[in-house]
Amino acid sequence: MTIKQKYIVDTTLRDGEQSPGIAFTLNQKVAIASALDSMGVSRIEAGTPAMGKAECQAFEQIKRTCRRARIIAWNRMNREDINRSLSCGADIIHVCVPSSDLLIREKLRLSRAALIEKMAVCADLVHSAGKELTIGLEDASRADRDFVVLLTQSAIKLGATTLRISDTVGIMSPSTIKACLNQIPTGIAIEIHTHNDLGMAVANTISALRSGAKYADVTLFGIGERAGNCNLEHLLIATQGQLDFGIRLDELQLRQSVLSAQFRPPSRSSRHPIGLL
Amino acid sequence: MVTIIDRTLTTLNTARIDSQAIRHFCELLFIGGVTRIELPTSLAVRLKLSGLSGNTDAGESCFLVQKQNGRQQLLPNDLIEQNFSGHALPDIARRKIRLTGMADLLQGDYATIFEQLLCSDADALDLCPSNRQYCATAIALEWLFAGGHSVSGTFAGHANFACLEEVLMGVKLKNPTAFTGDLSVFRPLRIYYEQLSGLPVSPTKAVIGTDIFKVESGIHVDGVLKNPATYEPFSPETVGNQRKIVLGKHSGLQSVRYKLREQQLSEASEKSILELIKERCSQLGRTLSDLELYALAREVKNDDQAKIYC
Repeated sequence: MTIKQKYIVDTTLRDGEQSPGIAFTLNQKVAIASALDSMGVSRIEAGTPAMGKAECQAFEQIKRTCRRARIIAWNRMNREDINRSLSCGADIIHVCVPSSDLLIREKLRLSRAALIEKMAVCADLVHSAGKELTIGLEDASRADRDFVVLLTQSAIKLGATTLRISDTVGIMSPSTIKACLNQIPTGIAIEIHTHNDLGMAVANTISALRSGAKYADVTLFGIGERAGNCNLEHLLIATQGQLDFGIRLDELQLRQSVLSAQFRPPSRSSRHPIGLL
Repeated sequence: MVTIIDRTLTTLNTARIDSQAIRHFCELLFIGGVTRIELPTSLAVRLKLSGLSGNTDAGESCFLVQKQNGRQQLLPNDLIEQNFSGHALPDIARRKIRLTGMADLLQGDYATIFEQLLCSDADALDLCPSNRQYCATAIALEWLFAGGHSVSGTFAGHANFACLEEVLMGVKLKNPTAFTGDLSVFRPLRIYYEQLSGLPVSPTKAVIGTDIFKVESGIHVDGVLKNPATYEPFSPETVGNQRKIVLGKHSGLQSVRYKLREQQLSEASEKSILELIKERCSQLGRTLSDLELYALAREVKNDDQAKIYC
């Protein structure tokens, strides 16, 4: 059997850190990024520069420390966020585009047409700075499938290199992920971003990778909003001998045991280690 | 109507557990939508459950079912357990079978395997996947979505089976109108489970974790305050939980404003308060309590007054 080559995008420092109760110091962020880089993670989403000066400082230091991994800065669809990211030296500028009508209407209070216009403005800004653009379709699992296709076509036209499909509230199943990915036009690399609300983040990530996705978003210990994101260790265990991410499971486990103290907020007793159950 | 079997009690050492607690645990499982509870026959005898009297063939375990009139009854467990690797299809025609194992089923063409199983002419076919590769819930749900009639699992995935609470929630989300269970019993069920097993459930455990409805990040708080459905797959009340907005490094102005109002504090210095919250939380590596917010708001207010009067 041929082992397929796939790539890891680690978002421990962005979506993982958004988990309530977790706040890394600058030194912790650099230590985690450095460990991920040494293990062979291909892309590290290091945070949201729009959060402020401290986040930008962390970014700059991570960029200096990492040798191989490319560093992603996460952005909402606005100029201020993107300008901040451009100023702190990120390799890839990721723009998050809410794609379900629920988010477009209730959160952004925009029309679909205005959303696509905003996307173009953001893309221009990134390209004029000579940076790589990736686009994320937030809440793609609850979005109208035809609109997802339209957004993908726009992303290709705007020169985005990767399209992140996000199951933001963790409600997809392996078969719905497969059906969704089968509808997406070719011409752009696909990245899958899953959440574990129904305990299916690993299964859904495997389904997406089997359906053509190139990148898998993960976090260490599976930390993240609500029930967390796809757990890197669990993904490696489940895909051993089938998929190659260029990361050794034993090395990950060793490094996780060293880093684990930084993932346990003091408010949680040691009776509740992260990753239990 | 699908059969959802809970086999938690067959995986626990129930010898020293109070009978009343077990009875209540079973009642809650039925309310939550479980259709059969598998339990050791010795336990059924101890609980004085009716239905097996005279049946000398009762094996190691039996099924407890609840009839429409609410009365509970025992049935013999007539399923033959067979390990399934997911490769060579077992001969299951005209037999009542429970397939176990198949931890790596999703790595292959599982849809074709499901089709073959559905055409196998088995008298009864229950799937009880192993969670060794973290995919048991997905296997169980995909089986039901493909037309399978029966799955087995355990509460909180005890003993490495599919998590019953995730399977029940998946079934409910797939077809909300057809599902009749009341999942708000998950809160008391979690507490019972922790007592029965002696194991704590992770605060971020899918569906039943105590912390899964805590929101900190500015982007998510903004969305949740506008409409909770933006960042919640189901409402906290559905599973007997509640939403909590917490302040931390990732908070935004909306969260601070919300918490200041909640604590009946002035919103005048919200920007300075937000900066201080972010700074403190980064130093502490955790979120702030309501009391700490109160102290911080007072601190900012005093500083502002000092600037005016000095």
